[in-house]
Amino acid sequence: MRTRSRNGLPAFLVLAALGIGLAAAALYAAVGCDLNDPDRDVKRLFPGSTGFKTLYVSISKKGGDDLLKKIEARLGDTFTGLFETSDVPYTMYEVYKGADLIGYIHGVNQKGTYGGLQVFLALDLKGVIMGFYYQKLTSKAAKAFRDPAFGGQFLGLSLEDFYKYDVVSGKEEPSGPISRIKNPDPAAEKDFRATLRAAKKNLILVDEFLLGNPHLKFFKG
Amino acid sequence: MKKLSVFAVAYKSLLRKKTRSLLTILGIAMAAWVLVSLFGFNRGYEASLNKDIDNLGFQMLVVAKGCPYEAATLMLKGGTGLKYMNEDIAAAVAAEPEVDGVTPMLMQVVFDPNKGETGGLAAFLGVDPVSFPKMKSALPFKAGGWFKEPEAAEAVFGYEVAELEQREVGDLYLIPEKEVEVKVVGILERTGTQDDGTIFLPIKTVQKVFGIRELTSIGIKVKKDADMKAFEDKMYKLPDVQVVSLSQVKTTIMTLVSTARVMVFSIALIAILIAMMGVINTVLMSVMERRQEIGILKSMGAMAGDIFKLVWLETIILCIGGGLIGTGLALITARVTDVLVRGLLPYSPSGGLVAIDPGLVFMALGVVTAIGLASGIYPSWKAARMRPLDTIRSEVES
Repeated sequence: MRTRSRNGLPAFLVLAALGIGLAAAALYAAVGCDLNDPDRDVKRLFPGSTGFKTLYVSISKKGGDDLLKKIEARLGDTFTGLFETSDVPYTMYEVYKGADLIGYIHGVNQKGTYGGLQVFLALDLKGVIMGFYYQKLTSKAAKAFRDPAFGGQFLGLSLEDFYKYDVVSGKEEPSGPISRIKNPDPAAEKDFRATLRAAKKNLILVDEFLLGNPHLKFFKG
Repeated sequence: MKKLSVFAVAYKSLLRKKTRSLLTILGIAMAAWVLVSLFGFNRGYEASLNKDIDNLGFQMLVVAKGCPYEAATLMLKGGTGLKYMNEDIAAAVAAEPEVDGVTPMLMQVVFDPNKGETGGLAAFLGVDPVSFPKMKSALPFKAGGWFKEPEAAEAVFGYEVAELEQREVGDLYLIPEKEVEVKVVGILERTGTQDDGTIFLPIKTVQKVFGIRELTSIGIKVKKDADMKAFEDKMYKLPDVQVVSLSQVKTTIMTLVSTARVMVFSIALIAILIAMMGVINTVLMSVMERRQEIGILKSMGAMAGDIFKLVWLETIILCIGGGLIGTGLALITARVTDVLVRGLLPYSPSGGLVAIDPGLVFMALGVVTAIGLASGIYPSWKAARMRPLDTIRSEVES
């Protein structure tokens, strides 16, 4: 059978050429870490909310290398790799009920064993975790990590709790609330630790960019 | 007594009416600016488009009939609807005398339930480790390089997907659904094409992992001296395939651009005509105001040819001055023109859109000088044929 569709093809091809860039972006959308569907996701994480405001921040714009060093010190680890740099744009959501600010949502990218993790936290005005959500997760233990029982272990924690957790050794001295978070699959220890590092990094960035550093006093650097 | 040259007299005459001379020069400068920028755009756009198409590696794509081969279509179809063709077609196409090389490809799209709340798609393109890198030699790597073995469990990531997956050279990646591990051996620089969102694997690996022995597309590089149209016709005769020729894309884009260009060239022509009228008007007014002076020059022994030369020289000075300013402006504002044109056009290639070289500058100066020569003929002729007695008498009467 022959295919001879020249008349319509050029126009289609031009459209295709125009769509190439957009399509690439659509398949793998965000450079930073945005909510895929903010209207739906904000409502799900804060059921009583009526609106939200989106803020775009970056370490390089707010404080440059000095701020990066401070954040790395609070994290207990350096920002590494091609994609964890000071110019990464962070998207932060302020959530409102009427005119009242009721909380925040923020997500970070984190390197996992087999792919990127996107860990989102919903926080109250004091920076206490009210919701935990993997927007994206590439792991052999993805099902176990996505189980609500695993995410539920993060609720009620704040940056104060995470300061005693060393993201490099994966240990908490002395043992505290972070040690009580159970790894759902021992074979996926690296992804478990990556999740804890992502949560700590997330809380530090929210403290720095949104809350005005109220948890800095708990940091024993 | 100091002897004045004709040039000095012409120059001084122009200085007597500075504002008028300046405005005339500016009019010519605008015309020259438009002219140089347009011709520069014409050259730059085509050169960049050719470069983009060459960088794609192959000028023709043969896909199974009805197979979505673009990321946009795959998105619309939710990753379904892939159609396959026999591997033998690649060998048959490669045997054609017009063909410089072929590269077989197999695209697969899987649903990743762990991407977002409702899952997402991950696209994999199986390519031949020998022919594909050769054809796409312009693809720049941020780190690493292409896989070497035909069945290697290795992958090359486009920039966007590497960023999303936080992958670096040496990292592992898990193919969703199949739970197969591959090692990242290369990460591409950002290209602005769908390559940014693609994960490249060796074609045999994709065939093995997904259990498919066939192809979704074949990239064809045609010999430079080959008759593209005749070859396209030959490809259309292949059974159950559709042919996507990038020469068609280029022709279509150039047709669209040419249409816009004809309109802009018309505007440029009008601008040149207006500038020309401005020059004639300025010089003619200058001649009429200097009737007495011309009459005295003639009565002192100046010949008609001398007067013609004097007035003609004034015109040429105006035009060359305007031409130099205009081409200078075009050179200085080439980058701004590039940005503006890019904002206006529906599709622009990646390279510079405005290419101004010395040849173009000299050509524009030549055109403007020719305009000056042509515009100066009538006022010069008018001045040359003035009779001294008439001019002096008219001054006395007025």
